[in-house]
Amino acid sequence: MIDINTPFDFEFDEPLPSSLPTPKRRKVIELDDLLTDYYKEKSKSIEKESKKAKFRKISKPDDDDDDTHQDKKEAMLSHFVDECHKKARMRAEDEIKEWGLRVFGNQKALPVLDFPQLGSCVFLQSVMKNKMNSVLELSAEKGQIFLEELLINGWLSELVITCAHVEECITTWTFNLMLYSRNEELRTSASNFWCTVLSHNDEHGLCSIRIDGFPSYSELKRALEVYGYQLYSSDNFSSLPEMSDAGPSSPIMFGWVRDTKLTDEIDSDSEGPPQNIRCWVKFVAVCSQVRSTLPIISNNSEAEELLGAIISFFLDRQLQGLSLLFYECMLSVISSFTDNEWSSSCERVAKSLAISTQKDLNSLRLAECISGVDARSKQLRREVGFQILKKFFNMKNALKRKWKASIVFNEEYWLFSNPLLEEKPYIREMWGVYLRNYSCQIASTDMRPCASKVRNKASFLLQSTVNRKDGE
Amino acid sequence: MEVKRNTTSRNNGIEENTMAILDSSGIKDSKDLLDDRLAFLEAVRASSLVSESGSAPSSKMFEAIFHILKDSTSLELTMTSYQLLIELDKRFPRVYISHSNTSESSGSRELVVLEEAWSPFALGPVIATYRETDRNYRNSNHPLDSLGFCHLTENIAREVNEVNFQVPAMKLIGEMMLFQYLLNVLQTDFVSRNTIYKETKDWACLRDSSLNVLLVSLSSRRMYKGLMKDCMSILSRGGHHFAGVTSNDLENEKMSSGKTVRSCGIVFTFYFGLKEGTCVAIQQFFSQIMELDVIKKQADLQGQTSRADGLRTPLLEIILDELTYDEELFSSFLQVIVEIVMGYFCIIFLIVFSNPNWKLEVILQFFSKYLKKPSIRTRRSSESTEDATLTDVLRSFSSETSTKAIIKKISADVAQLLLAHAFQVISCCFFSPLAKLTLHRPYSEAFSPRAFSGQHNNQLAYLKLQHHIDHVADSSENVRGSSVLQTCKDIIAAFDNLRKADK
Repeated sequence: MIDINTPFDFEFDEPLPSSLPTPKRRKVIELDDLLTDYYKEKSKSIEKESKKAKFRKISKPDDDDDDTHQDKKEAMLSHFVDECHKKARMRAEDEIKEWGLRVFGNQKALPVLDFPQLGSCVFLQSVMKNKMNSVLELSAEKGQIFLEELLINGWLSELVITCAHVEECITTWTFNLMLYSRNEELRTSASNFWCTVLSHNDEHGLCSIRIDGFPSYSELKRALEVYGYQLYSSDNFSSLPEMSDAGPSSPIMFGWVRDTKLTDEIDSDSEGPPQNIRCWVKFVAVCSQVRSTLPIISNNSEAEELLGAIISFFLDRQLQGLSLLFYECMLSVISSFTDNEWSSSCERVAKSLAISTQKDLNSLRLAECISGVDARSKQLRREVGFQILKKFFNMKNALKRKWKASIVFNEEYWLFSNPLLEEKPYIREMWGVYLRNYSCQIASTDMRPCASKVRNKASFLLQSTVNRKDGE
Repeated sequence: MEVKRNTTSRNNGIEENTMAILDSSGIKDSKDLLDDRLAFLEAVRASSLVSESGSAPSSKMFEAIFHILKDSTSLELTMTSYQLLIELDKRFPRVYISHSNTSESSGSRELVVLEEAWSPFALGPVIATYRETDRNYRNSNHPLDSLGFCHLTENIAREVNEVNFQVPAMKLIGEMMLFQYLLNVLQTDFVSRNTIYKETKDWACLRDSSLNVLLVSLSSRRMYKGLMKDCMSILSRGGHHFAGVTSNDLENEKMSSGKTVRSCGIVFTFYFGLKEGTCVAIQQFFSQIMELDVIKKQADLQGQTSRADGLRTPLLEIILDELTYDEELFSSFLQVIVEIVMGYFCIIFLIVFSNPNWKLEVILQFFSKYLKKPSIRTRRSSESTEDATLTDVLRSFSSETSTKAIIKKISADVAQLLLAHAFQVISCCFFSPLAKLTLHRPYSEAFSPRAFSGQHNNQLAYLKLQHHIDHVADSSENVRGSSVLQTCKDIIAAFDNLRKADK
């Protein structure tokens, strides 16, 4: 331990943090690094202090009582310090709650998918009356199974294209299969059927395939209600229950369950995201693409509502696997507006999203998930960010810092995606100054993990601003 | 062909700073690692995609994104990195067609290849050799070589088979996403090169395509066939779903064995979509290889190829071999099983493989093996025999006796199925002009992959026929009417004969 032979230097020079040889780093040196170095040094000197103390102890064996007293004091102190650390850490962890909401609650009872009237539809009747039926041996009872086979193998859409007509009962039947069937194959086939038929009509003009009993927007909305979409049943996201506090690596985080027993439970349970959501989203995307020719989504408020709903799906971690699908659908809906409609619709969507948010990371996620790089997506993202910012302008919240940091990120987004600002260099100057001030604002003693992240981000942004200036 | 060099060096600062976000020194928590990686991806997106004047990320940054995708530690990271890479490739393509209006012949186009642009493939021979021993493609930061690509496919093929009624592991999900990304890279590269090839007929255009380089590298390592078989195995597994299907023996079998066949939860829905996407990607991969095979053959004849281009069995032959092999294997001792096993294999494969042109090609070639004398089956010796047409095929089904002779070799179910599919293909091409769409729309939408019983297939074809005959009869102005009508009648006759012969 301590080499008693070595003379002790009571006049320890406090080494200056700056005189330390800084190890070569990849990272740009930040306040953080300097601080950690400083604290490292400090702890070293504390160690030395304790050495001194021990030396004192050895040199004065007669001061026993005094020493034990001091030991006790030290122990208490260190205990106290530990407690403080723990508390600080706990508080820091409390502050950063992950984003994630259960967007879908309990599912309602799915509509019955049995269609006895299918057997009597004109299409099947004509087949049965045909002389070929001696080979097919088709009867009204077998009608539904037969149609299912047609649907799954892709023949139904071809027949429909050939006949240029979809009967009402077939429309209803396939539409319901798509939205409510528990059979993955049937629902996917039904959704493919509609995608084919609708995009066919889009390419060949309005009259190419006559669709009887065409579903309206209200059907789509009803489906979401049946799935247990929470936004319709409650006023805003704030009343949605948060995800369980599982770590990011935990399987439940993304709806991942290994246990087959568990999956069985999920199957029977009506809780959680609906399995038909994939078909629903696909269908909405196609409807948006053909909106100019086939008005399923007939007016703007419907399209706005859909857009809001799709963006809210991004908040559910269990649906993360479908994020690409949501992304594509979101782009389709966004581009389905006409240029005139867009700016007002954009604002309304952003407002309605902002109204339903709470002061937590989910509101940031809302803005972040609008990740399209086309002009409209950027505009929507700016708008959502702006509306949320407006709502929480005077926020006094523990979350403020991380929140603010991401807002900064968003602002950066806003700043550099806005073409109007291109020719105004002074705004960039100001932005640079703001960022610098901002990163200095965070107290250097703030050792919470989020603080360092924020500083990282700020310095990254600062650097890129400088770079942009240089590039010009 | 124009070759550009990357000359952007002023982005060093951005690179350094963005990469610094990933710096993991001092990070203990996996949560922090995840956060940092997400922040990194977001930063790349912001600097390269969001701003109008953004430049392509440096190779180092690309590598880091690719590493995140390969690593597949969390679903969020996998999805985000995949999406970012796809979008970056769109915005900053490695190969693209430039419309140069400067030359006299207005509208002439040429291929621009950014040689130094980062690619997920390292197909050069040098890199390939020193990583020979490294079987684990996931851990390295390097791009993938042909060996790594093979292992990836192998893994997926194996794991897709293992994942039966269980929730797929994150590893498989990540691998599938990675695989789709790689196929996407091959595809975009091939498509633009092929466009130029069609104009210039210059084999060099396609010789340097990543697809060709990969295939050459694979066949020089004798791994080409294995890869194709792995792909076929993934395709055929793509046809099996968790969903219980009405009136299906195979599914019923599983039901009775006590397993739950019902779909389970949102994860399966996602996995189903992912598998579907993987299958579509493989189909396109196959179509392109076949196209490349044809083009290479032409180039061979014109003397444009050299020894370096190597020899490769055309994919079509591999597929047919695989089909025959399977049947012969079983028919030699288990005649009963042949209908089920061979039938399903064939069905799954054909339905999944839904590119109409190649589908018809496979069907016709398959038939032609059985319509001729069995001795001609050694195909390689007689490569120049002319291909059978559908008319030839139908002629052999025109009488009951000839049909009987055929279904001794091919089961009636399979024959019906193949005919029905052949019909589906030609109906797209010949009949109503409206139906042309089916040729162009994404193949995934054209046919939902699944196994179905031969009996129903028979019925479906009948029904379809009847409608087409009505349709053709109605439109007397249809020029092709008579021959189409004849084809329809031939097919009906073939089905009738098959039915009689099968009894």
